[in-house]
Amino acid sequence: MAKKPTKTSTGEPIRKKPLGTRIWNNRGYYLMFLPVLIYVLVIYYWPMLGVRYAFYDYKLKNISYVGFKHFQTMFGDKDFWTSFKNTLELSIMKLLITTFVSVLISVFLNEMGNLFVKKSLQTIIYLPHFMSWTVVAAIFTLFLSNSSSGFVNETLKSWGVIEKSIDFLHKKDMWRPIFYMINIWKETGWGTVIFLATLSGINPELYEAADIDGAKRMQKIWYVTVPALANTIIIVLILNLAKVLNMFESVFVLYNTRVYEVSDVISTFIYRKTFLQNIPNYGYTTAVGLFKSLVGCMLVLICNWASKKIRGRGII
Amino acid sequence: MKKKVLSVLLAAAMVMSMTACGGSDASSDGGSTASSTTSSSSSSSTESSSSSSSTESSGSAAAAVETPGEYVLEDLYIVVDGTLTATVDNGQDAFIEQWEAAVSQKLGHSIKLHINQLDHSDYSGTVSRLLTTGEPGDGSFPDALIMSATMFREYAPTGLLWDQADAYANAEFQSRVTLPSINENMKDSTGALYGFAPTYGNGCVTYVKKAWLDAVGMSIDDIKTYDDYYNMLKAFTEQDPDGNGSAGTYGVIAAGYGKLDEAPFINYMPEFWQDAYPAIYQKDGVWVDGFQEEATQKALQRLADAYAAGLIDPDTEEAGTKQAREKWFSNDQSTSEGVFTYWAGTWLQTLTDNLVKQEVDSEIVMLPPIAEIKNSWGGYLNREAPVWVITDDQNGDNSREQAIFDALIETMLDGDVVQTLWTYGAEDVHWSTHAEEFTTNAGTDKEKTYSYEEGTFHLKQSPNDPNSVWKKNHLDAVLVIAPLTNGYVDTSELAVAGNKFFTENCVDAPQAPASETLSEINNDLVDLKKQLMNQVVTGEKTPADAIAEYQEAFGDQIETVLSELNG
Repeated sequence: MAKKPTKTSTGEPIRKKPLGTRIWNNRGYYLMFLPVLIYVLVIYYWPMLGVRYAFYDYKLKNISYVGFKHFQTMFGDKDFWTSFKNTLELSIMKLLITTFVSVLISVFLNEMGNLFVKKSLQTIIYLPHFMSWTVVAAIFTLFLSNSSSGFVNETLKSWGVIEKSIDFLHKKDMWRPIFYMINIWKETGWGTVIFLATLSGINPELYEAADIDGAKRMQKIWYVTVPALANTIIIVLILNLAKVLNMFESVFVLYNTRVYEVSDVISTFIYRKTFLQNIPNYGYTTAVGLFKSLVGCMLVLICNWASKKIRGRGII
Repeated sequence: MKKKVLSVLLAAAMVMSMTACGGSDASSDGGSTASSTTSSSSSSSTESSSSSSSTESSGSAAAAVETPGEYVLEDLYIVVDGTLTATVDNGQDAFIEQWEAAVSQKLGHSIKLHINQLDHSDYSGTVSRLLTTGEPGDGSFPDALIMSATMFREYAPTGLLWDQADAYANAEFQSRVTLPSINENMKDSTGALYGFAPTYGNGCVTYVKKAWLDAVGMSIDDIKTYDDYYNMLKAFTEQDPDGNGSAGTYGVIAAGYGKLDEAPFINYMPEFWQDAYPAIYQKDGVWVDGFQEEATQKALQRLADAYAAGLIDPDTEEAGTKQAREKWFSNDQSTSEGVFTYWAGTWLQTLTDNLVKQEVDSEIVMLPPIAEIKNSWGGYLNREAPVWVITDDQNGDNSREQAIFDALIETMLDGDVVQTLWTYGAEDVHWSTHAEEFTTNAGTDKEKTYSYEEGTFHLKQSPNDPNSVWKKNHLDAVLVIAPLTNGYVDTSELAVAGNKFFTENCVDAPQAPASETLSEINNDLVDLKKQLMNQVVTGEKTPADAIAEYQEAFGDQIETVLSELNG
């Protein structure tokens, strides 16, 4: 950022008015800003004061200071580390897979000549994004159920592919692939929006030049389309990387006790410890939440640094 | 430079504000109690002075509150679960209106009833949040609420519940109590009674579809042992009991292979669990962990074998009670089950009504406890009763709590108007004594006309479902510890038969333990047990491996719990 001039063109030093005077002179603007400031302080910052309970035992109405006890418990808790590892693995894999599939579909849609088919397909693949995760989970749970009302199992059995129903959502080795597939089904369409916007901005002359050079369709995709998308792909990855720890709803509606080992994420871990206990210790779950926020904050800073390196400007 | 100074000042201000808030924390606890006491004092003083029309100064108001018996309760806030069947869309307004009129008359001053009916499935979680965040009198904090036996044992040592022992001992309904042992058993070692049970607990009975038994050529009288039971499930799974020509049916469904978060844990699948009790319980006077016993391993193996043979509907693992029963009486019997173990008494009528409504053959037969259950427990388990608890504002004065007891619990068992409200609901909404005639399922082959003469007590059509007859409200007339004195009796033969069958075939379930360490680890313990149980039943682990994993994770803590309990 360019440094502000401290002298006039004639060499005279620029004299700033005192802060109080400047505020008074611009009091109209400050007055207009005041409601926003109050809103931000009350809605965003005031609740943050609750983080202090990470250092307290907080059960029902009994609150007592315990220092770092909850952090010690947390770092020694196997379930916590499982959920932490799962959060990173599930989020990053999901991000990479959905981004890759979104790019792929965007390129295919971009290549499509028939505008009606293209628009129809776009609309169809967007639709699942607008369904709530609860509905999506209900549909897939029924669809993949291993009881005699499960569509997939019964179909496979009737075709003679399998003899016994497969418990898709309760098997540790199958849960993650199914989770990724459901995510692709639900979110890929929406993910194409930004890539299609980028594709529509590619200069047609590049394709014409490629045609003149005798490039085939695949070569045009590989040498023109994909490079044009590269920057957007990186930006999308960076922006989403900062949010990887926020995974909750999609896991919560699809997981179960038998697959905790591969599915439990930090948010569901916190949820269970807070809301499914007869008498929860809010201190402990606040400590876990605080740790999650700190890691999230670090990720944002890393992404900001990466963004500055790649784009020349940060994300915050 | 100025900018730097300003930022330092802003940062300092923020830190100061955080410190101020944090610093006030410890005092805020005391402070909030004090302020609530003050507000309670002042409001009560207003109430006392207005009721007595005295000219007391505000300075003497606190004294008025501290004098027992002078607390005037004008608003009663209660929290209930799904066991209050007069829900908002099922005539709750009328119930509240009639309760307020009757109780106001009894107390000699007006009182308003505020019911917060929580989602049944998330009841304990919501209750803990209400009790954590609220203060007495603020409208969301309950003056009294219902707790299951398991919840109650966790809350009893917290100091948040009021000791009702004296109030209970002096209650007017004492002379009519026919089952005094229910509440005597609720008392702790010091004689304190933190929860009051107006009924005994009830339990589950195994129901079998008669049509399915007929279809596979069996009779309920043939089912005497676990092997007979297993063969019945096998026949229901393999012999096309619904007669549609294809497979798809199952032997049994339940809400979980075991209900490990709610005592008595084994009552939804008693034939599989038999003598096992997968929780801490008292055996021959000594507290033991039943989950580590050999009986539990054998029970898990039985469940696993039946699951592998396809006799247990896999939906059992995830089903709640609602999903399980709806699948059992579903209109589509081709993927249904023949056996369902569920609550006794009124539920026999409800399940039958639902089968009728779904146009499914509705005859249900009850399976007497199989030999393995009889020889171990002695019969089906009668759970520890759910209780009503009163919250203690911890101000050292009992007048508020006594007033809540008088308004809610004393009147709940008055034997007359208020008890009728809790038992059957609101007059002329849920029940009536006026002459009337009504028809259910009109125009179908299940059409039934009910006709009553003037002065005859009878239940009316459900407010939200005119095709079924109302059954009961919160209290079960047959289970209540002090019966009605007005002679109002539900004439549902099925409910009466169901209750009779259960009482003839039940024994009391083991008492739930109360231990500080157990309260701390209980939910993690239940989570792990559920996980291991599901893994064993579905064949992912052997029972021995599961128990070993359990011991590794919680062995030391369980030892601590047992030593706390056994002294």
